[in-house]
Amino acid sequence: MDVYAGVLEVLDDVLSLQGRARRLAPDAALLGSVPELDSMAVASVIAALEERYGFVVDDDEIDGATFATVGSLADFVKAKLNA
Amino acid sequence: MAAAETFLLPVGTGFRFCLLHRPPAGTPARAAVVVAPPFAEELNKSRRMIALTARQLADEGCVVLEADGHGCGDSSGDFADATWDDWIEDVVRAQRWLAERFDAPQWIWGVRAGALLACAALREVAAAGLLLWQPIVSGRQHLAAFLRVATAGALLREGAEPASVKSLLARLQSGEHVDVAGYSVAPAVARGLDAARVELPAVFRGRIACLEVTSAGAPTPAVVAAADAWARDGRVVALRAVSGPSFWQTTEIEVAPDLIAATAAMLREPAA
Repeated sequence: MDVYAGVLEVLDDVLSLQGRARRLAPDAALLGSVPELDSMAVASVIAALEERYGFVVDDDEIDGATFATVGSLADFVKAKLNA
Repeated sequence: MAAAETFLLPVGTGFRFCLLHRPPAGTPARAAVVVAPPFAEELNKSRRMIALTARQLADEGCVVLEADGHGCGDSSGDFADATWDDWIEDVVRAQRWLAERFDAPQWIWGVRAGALLACAALREVAAAGLLLWQPIVSGRQHLAAFLRVATAGALLREGAEPASVKSLLARLQSGEHVDVAGYSVAPAVARGLDAARVELPAVFRGRIACLEVTSAGAPTPAVVAAADAWARDGRVVALRAVSGPSFWQTTEIEVAPDLIAATAAMLREPAA
């Protein structure tokens, strides 16, 4: 499965979106637009990505821009996997 | 389906709130299972899945004990005053209570960070089996992930003072409590969790039934590595992944029916 689809799956799962995440385009806004995305959910999304892909995320690797859109989050995961 | 019995287990000047799921009347218990609960908010998110599975196991002839730890759920004490060792002792105490009353193979069922508590409890009590649900492999990583809830809050508020996991860890190490999502985490909780690993004591030679629920239905890399290490050590390990929601962290309270069925199936397998 490609990384983008994997990120959508994590978002759909953690945010309990019942399949709605699958319709999100890469430029779909996340932070500030998806009401389910509170601080607990942001932390859970990061934890779910860590567990799924087996990497560890440091504080200084993420900021608001990482969670700006579905595409920016997928780009972050790709960069971590290629690191 | 029988309702669970509730009772209060006395501990010093306080008590631990317990739920006991019994097999149908007249059926002797074929296994006695004590839950080692997950940490903080994951306990709330997991309660429904634990209860549904406990009922299913009870219907199939197991007795299952859920005991809330010090300062958790309906037990006495404050979360802020708890220590990691208190919670290990709570699992040990619950297991001993169950073993004294039910003459059946004893299991410890570690859910998420409860896997770490279960491994520690196995140094003090004997068990025939260890059931793990989505085990946390590294307490250090779990603590960092929990503290990140506080740092994620800063991402959401423009102009908020940025917090870092490192700075929160430093405050804990200097003896301060840290507030995260309504939980006041004590240094003595952080210290214990940080040092905890899902490592089995040599004295435990029972079966290990490890279950994960992932959207893709494949086990996570860290858990595969842990299970491989146990198998190399000559232990009897069954690792299975099923599809379903990650109920311990989802925004809504969710149920993973395949996990309930897989858990019941694992406990039906005869002892090797």
